[in-house]
Amino acid sequence: MKWLLFAWKNVLRNRRRSLTALAITAVSAAAILVSSGFALFAYESLREISARDTGHVILAERDYFEGDEDVPMQHGLAGAPALAKELAALPGVRAVLPRVQFSGLISNGDKSAVFIGSGVLPELDFRVRGPQMRFLGGEPLSAGTDVPEIVMGGELAKLLRAKPGSSLTLLATTTEGSLNAVDVVVRGLITVGVSEIDKRLVLTDIAAVQKLLLTDKVSTLSVYLRETGATDAFAARTRAERPQLAVRTWLDLAFFYQAVRALYNRLFGVLGFIMMVIVLFAMTNTLAMAVAERTREIGTLRAIGASPAGIVRNFVLEGVLIGGAGTLAGMALAGAAIVFLIFAGIQMPPPPGRSVGYPLQVVFSAWLYAATGLGVIAVSALAACLVSAKAARKPITEALAHV
Amino acid sequence: MTPGAAIAPAVRLTRVKKSYRVGETMVRALRGISLDVAAGELVALTGPSGSGKSTLLNLCGLIDAPDEGAREIAGVPIAGCSEIQLTRLRREKVGFVFQSFNLVPVMSVYDNVEYPLLLLGSAKAERRTRVEEALARVGLGALTGRLPDTLSGGQRQRVAIARALVKSPTLVIADEPTGNLDSATAAQIIELLRELAHERGAAAVVATHDERMTRYCDRVLRLVDGEMR
Repeated sequence: MKWLLFAWKNVLRNRRRSLTALAITAVSAAAILVSSGFALFAYESLREISARDTGHVILAERDYFEGDEDVPMQHGLAGAPALAKELAALPGVRAVLPRVQFSGLISNGDKSAVFIGSGVLPELDFRVRGPQMRFLGGEPLSAGTDVPEIVMGGELAKLLRAKPGSSLTLLATTTEGSLNAVDVVVRGLITVGVSEIDKRLVLTDIAAVQKLLLTDKVSTLSVYLRETGATDAFAARTRAERPQLAVRTWLDLAFFYQAVRALYNRLFGVLGFIMMVIVLFAMTNTLAMAVAERTREIGTLRAIGASPAGIVRNFVLEGVLIGGAGTLAGMALAGAAIVFLIFAGIQMPPPPGRSVGYPLQVVFSAWLYAATGLGVIAVSALAACLVSAKAARKPITEALAHV
Repeated sequence: MTPGAAIAPAVRLTRVKKSYRVGETMVRALRGISLDVAAGELVALTGPSGSGKSTLLNLCGLIDAPDEGAREIAGVPIAGCSEIQLTRLRREKVGFVFQSFNLVPVMSVYDNVEYPLLLLGSAKAERRTRVEEALARVGLGALTGRLPDTLSGGQRQRVAIARALVKSPTLVIADEPTGNLDSATAAQIIELLRELAHERGAAAVVATHDERMTRYCDRVLRLVDGEMR
């Protein structure tokens, strides 16, 4: 405790210099916390979007994910309703949604376009997908209508000059290889924020799709869990209990999430490294000047019995105090930035390939704050070690003669 | 102690030599000096500048090493000691008083005097007792909380003496301790040093230019060109 008190007094010896180092440390720590907090927000948002889109755990026929299909639904899953009922009864399961993936042509009579569609349960699917799907007009699908309804991507609707209430025709290949068509009514227009998907997307009642494709199979069963953290355990148990099925997690299918995470990890990792180097330089500069000014004092303390390690320890404590205080100030700055962003509602521009922006938010993570604090303090201690080790080992007579 | 057993001197130098290189020139600072200083003895080292006084003090105080010759502190041979052992010996057995006082400016008078005891790992209660006793003995018991910069030169040197003697060392090294003081204060300081060295049984080796100081010393050694005269 006494050594810490002496270190504190030495920190106050040249207040302006210590304050400068503290300010640089604070800004660097805040930059790390804010940028990493933003990355965490992006990860959380993308994780949520991915999990809501595919479900936490996806079950399919064994060759569904790897094998190509010669005809639609060749690798479809039979007996889906019973399996869905069994899965829905398991603890921790919020919903089990069957889906049929299909594609074909969509026409307004004058003009046709390629679509990529999903047959879904109208009453449940829109609820679990949540805010990921934004309605541009109209309503979600309703169940049990006489004429099948569709919800389509806004850009596809624009291409076909369709709006809610318009009649269109879906044309697709059946499981037997022949062509089949069904007339549908546009119920709503949506965007998922990705232009390329909005140009192709069609969602309709799963029963209508099965009728169109002449099948009672489904492509996949999407299991939605109450906790995303339970995904791996649930998937492992399902794999063990149902080895005849292919089981994937949302992460296995979240290629965009994984690409963004890999990019951000590198980007913000480099930024954090640069910030740490800046802290190292600032601390080295500050403590090097202190060491130079106090060389004679170091000689005196060595003469009266302080060891080189003891001298280094004193400077390390000074570095830790400046680094620690700078980290605390940086945390306060980052906290202020988080609060400001919550109330400011700043929107980020759409990322490449996307058509909608997203709110700029920064996540608070105790783990991140602890790791950053420890990192900055460790770098400060390292700087102190580097600059004081040589002076502490200088011959005492030379140190005492230092002017 | 066995009656009649020889008491080891506080410090013993045997034919020590030391040379320095200054530019292209080799300066022979000490040319085979031998010296014994007994416990409680105050020895003055006099001589002109460059005569080797400081070098001799540095060798006695274990902050420099001789090129040749042997050293002992309280009977402990120094040859072959590691840097860690030398540090420990200085910490336990040697006190220093410098011409420019060399107090730590951000530490209070109390903290400066306490520092050697902290290095020794003394308990807090013991530190308090010894520091207060040492400061009272040098007449600064009322100034414990003051910073060195607020003290006069004489007071600062008293603090330095208290710092040197608080750990009851075997040997006190004082390099021109009165060099920055007026005559009256210098006389007080050298007398205090003598009293404390005698009281505590510490050997003291004092380098001084001031011939008037020598009358307070038990023995006066004169160095000229690295040799004892």
